[in-house]
Amino acid sequence: MTGPLVGVLGGSGTVGRVVLDRLAGYGTGPLRVGGRDPGRTRAAAERVGGEPVAVDLADPASLARFCAGCGVVVNAAGPSYRVLDTVARAAVAAGADYVDAAGDAAALAALGRGAPAGLAERSALFSAGLMPGLSGLLPRLLAEPGPLRRLDVYVGGATAIGPLSAVDALLTRGPGFGTALAAWRDGRVAENALAPLRSVALPGFRHPVHAWPFLSAEAAALAADLGVDELRNYTVYVSENIPEALATAWAADDRPLEEHVPAVVAAADADVALDGPWYTLLFHARPRDPARGGPTRLVVRTPDSYALSGVVAALAAHRLAEGGVPPGARPAAEVLDPRAVLDALAADPLVDGVELG
Amino acid sequence: MTPPTPTTTAPDTVAADLAAIWGELLGLEPDDVPTDTEFLRLGGDSVLSVRMAALVRRRLGVVLALSDVTVEITLDRLADLVRRRSTAAGTVRDLPVDVVRRADPTAPFPLMPLQQGYFVGQQGGWELSYESAHFYGDVGLTGVDGDEAADALTDAVERLAEHQPTLRARVTPEGMQYVLPPDAPGAIPAVRVYDLRDATEEEATATLERVRAEMSSTGPDPVHGPGLDLRLTLLPGDRGRLHTAMNLLVFDGWSATVLNRELLTLSADWNAVLPPLEIDFGDYVQALGRLTGTEAWAADRDWWWGRLDGLPQPPALPLRADPKDVRPVLMHTRERHLAPEQWAALRAACAERGVTPSTALLTAFAATMARWAGHRDLLLNSLQLNRLPVHPDIHRLVGAFASTMLIPVELPEGATFAAAATAVQRVFTEHAAHNLVSGVEVSRELARRRGTTRPVGPVVFQSTLGMDAAVGDRHPSSVGPLGEISFADFHHQLRTPQVALEARVYELNDELAVVFSLVEELFTPEEVDAAFAGMVALTEALADGSGWDRVLDLPAAREPEGDGLRLGRLDGARGDDASGPLADDVERRVAEVWEDLLDVPVLDRGADFFRLGGDSLVAVRALARMTREFGVQLGVRDFLDLPTVAGAAAAVRAARAAEAGSASR
Repeated sequence: MTGPLVGVLGGSGTVGRVVLDRLAGYGTGPLRVGGRDPGRTRAAAERVGGEPVAVDLADPASLARFCAGCGVVVNAAGPSYRVLDTVARAAVAAGADYVDAAGDAAALAALGRGAPAGLAERSALFSAGLMPGLSGLLPRLLAEPGPLRRLDVYVGGATAIGPLSAVDALLTRGPGFGTALAAWRDGRVAENALAPLRSVALPGFRHPVHAWPFLSAEAAALAADLGVDELRNYTVYVSENIPEALATAWAADDRPLEEHVPAVVAAADADVALDGPWYTLLFHARPRDPARGGPTRLVVRTPDSYALSGVVAALAAHRLAEGGVPPGARPAAEVLDPRAVLDALAADPLVDGVELG
Repeated sequence: MTPPTPTTTAPDTVAADLAAIWGELLGLEPDDVPTDTEFLRLGGDSVLSVRMAALVRRRLGVVLALSDVTVEITLDRLADLVRRRSTAAGTVRDLPVDVVRRADPTAPFPLMPLQQGYFVGQQGGWELSYESAHFYGDVGLTGVDGDEAADALTDAVERLAEHQPTLRARVTPEGMQYVLPPDAPGAIPAVRVYDLRDATEEEATATLERVRAEMSSTGPDPVHGPGLDLRLTLLPGDRGRLHTAMNLLVFDGWSATVLNRELLTLSADWNAVLPPLEIDFGDYVQALGRLTGTEAWAADRDWWWGRLDGLPQPPALPLRADPKDVRPVLMHTRERHLAPEQWAALRAACAERGVTPSTALLTAFAATMARWAGHRDLLLNSLQLNRLPVHPDIHRLVGAFASTMLIPVELPEGATFAAAATAVQRVFTEHAAHNLVSGVEVSRELARRRGTTRPVGPVVFQSTLGMDAAVGDRHPSSVGPLGEISFADFHHQLRTPQVALEARVYELNDELAVVFSLVEELFTPEEVDAAFAGMVALTEALADGSGWDRVLDLPAAREPEGDGLRLGRLDGARGDDASGPLADDVERRVAEVWEDLLDVPVLDRGADFFRLGGDSLVAVRALARMTREFGVQLGVRDFLDLPTVAGAAAAVRAARAAEAGSASR
């Protein structure tokens, strides 16, 4: 392999395994696999012929050793709220580009505070997952043939949430993340503009679902970027279980967040028990020019949203390895080519279906 | 059913306490919190709503389920909820609503589900629909005081319209209803008089036929005037006829009985005073509106929804025409009366077997339909005149309270009539216990699940046996200047949309009337005759006691079979193969009109208006909006044949093409 050395941290996890498989498949470059558990890390490395390295995120020296020599470092370890910009700083310091499969606005902001000098040379891509990630990238395809009057985004389904991800889910609240019940209208956030939709039938979704309006920071940035008149962004659930668990937790904010983790995990398990795991991204555009041609709807379906975020992270790493990405820290959605990503998804075994029309 | 006791309690602090809680959470002065605005619109969110529930629990000691406290709740509804939760539930089924007098008795209020059906039927929206859904009847009078009768009747109508606001009811073209004040022009139904006292017998007969034909085929329409049309014919020899046409949009069968009685009571005596009514029909509708979304209502809905997929098919009666191709003007009738002693014997036999006469006749009707249709499991529809017992005056009100109820009848093989009737009674009672959700709504959902535009319950059973006792009193037979009423000389005619065949059983003058009203164009008349004769023979055998222990002669098949044109087996499939992204600007604009009306995203050209949550009433509104949006006239039937975005857009394009074609000619 001729590409740069790519280091994948958290390579034995759900996401990390997929990142490694795909990078090996794309032939991006030689692989280095980092993890806390030496045995599992070695096993994961063996599957892709990579080099195993034991890393403790809390130990800066071991992290620096892991990053040394890498052209690109991919972080697939969580939880994002604890990792924040730790790995990104280590990677940039070692002269590597960086990809974070999760890492949302909070991580980006953390990196921005006293940004490392290396960022003038290297690129750091955050939010290289599904949501945020694909949800901010793929709708751009629908705006390519001409500007949009309205864009609707529906993302969700039934998916198991591990304890660490549950903490991330519980933290998706506050100004850095988005505004519940808000829409984007005429260049700004319109609060309380939308009501929750209960038992609605949506194309690409298996059953009638509940859709909760949530104007995420990513969605607002996308709306501003594309100049759409209106953007409606919904998080979709198959039942009231998860919204209730989150609302209950947020209402009792005098207790530590961790206390609410089991309820969120159980709520997600209950959703999956209904009809197995499934996840859909639906984007629906209304062009400003009624006579405009081109696609107005995109549906992507997957049985495993967490694993699929590994594919997105791998595509981002591959893109960085190709070179030519401007330096600095930004969301992956602002850098990746939506068409190329969609083509890769359509060919990926983790994707059940892609419909663009 | 016990009438609820009026809830008079200490000054109500619930509303004030809740306003204080909302004020705290939303940063408003308690007095500034509007009571009719959603929590969401005031800046609340799901988190605050959970906190609100917690505060309610702490301060008022009332536990609310999270599903109750949605962000869409208003302060008024929350106060209702808290009051209900804070009072212990009684032993009988407590209806979680109180009926209260509306501040403005002339304010518009929505149509009840069955009213919606009739309203849409009047727009030609359904197959088997008529310009008006109405009941017509005329009855002979003897000993009429020809000089006084018309005045007495006119005066009685005026007083009755003052007493029963529904006589002044109107329906708007958008499908709302309201009551005119008594002094509004045209508010009081006028009485038309045909004075034929000096006419020949031929002239009298010709006039009677003309009036009957006119009143049977052109009913009073509350969209354009009173829903009641009253006429009086004065005939030679102090005879006369009283003609009544009532639109079903405003009067149900129970109301017809009440209205006739009160009208005759007032006609008989200038000084008669009816006991005042504390509430009106609009108050009832308003109270029922608050029922939707309550736990009790949701429990009934879930009960029905859980059964829908297992319901049988309607009787697969052989047809000679497809209902969508016939344009009936009148429904035809078969009628037979059982003499008072036969009817008394039938009641006694029923009492002995522990079934109600209504159940016995429903079972007889089901068996008759089973034999005709060739299968034993049948979905029958029924008209229900029961009113929810929300107020002691409720049974004395005139209004369109009626609803429908689907009854799945599964007649057991090899059973005696008595055993079958016992089974039917059990099923009927169980289903009637879940009547907070109307059969119209259940049928709508069933049609949605079966993916059909055809009526799901076109065969109907209606019994008003026992209603006279419930209404109280009896018809006065002596009516002052109007003379004596000859119940034996009674002519009637019914038109109800979406019904292929309806069996009606009622009491008149101590006799039992068994009637089939049907769309004659659909059936082979000899088959109708045979079925009716079979039902009558079975009823007579029940009266003489011989029919009960006989094993019912029924077809072996449970499900419909056999080919040819049959009821319930018609192609009603909606073309939903058109699914995909909205294809062009017309489809996108159709989708946006629907989104606006239905408040749900419409993102697929195959999206079905009714599966998206639309009902027939909203369909009428959608058509009006699309007509405005595209500037072309769209037919209701075209829309219902293919109620998808793609279908509606195709109808728009076709209408445009047709207009362009006629313009170029």
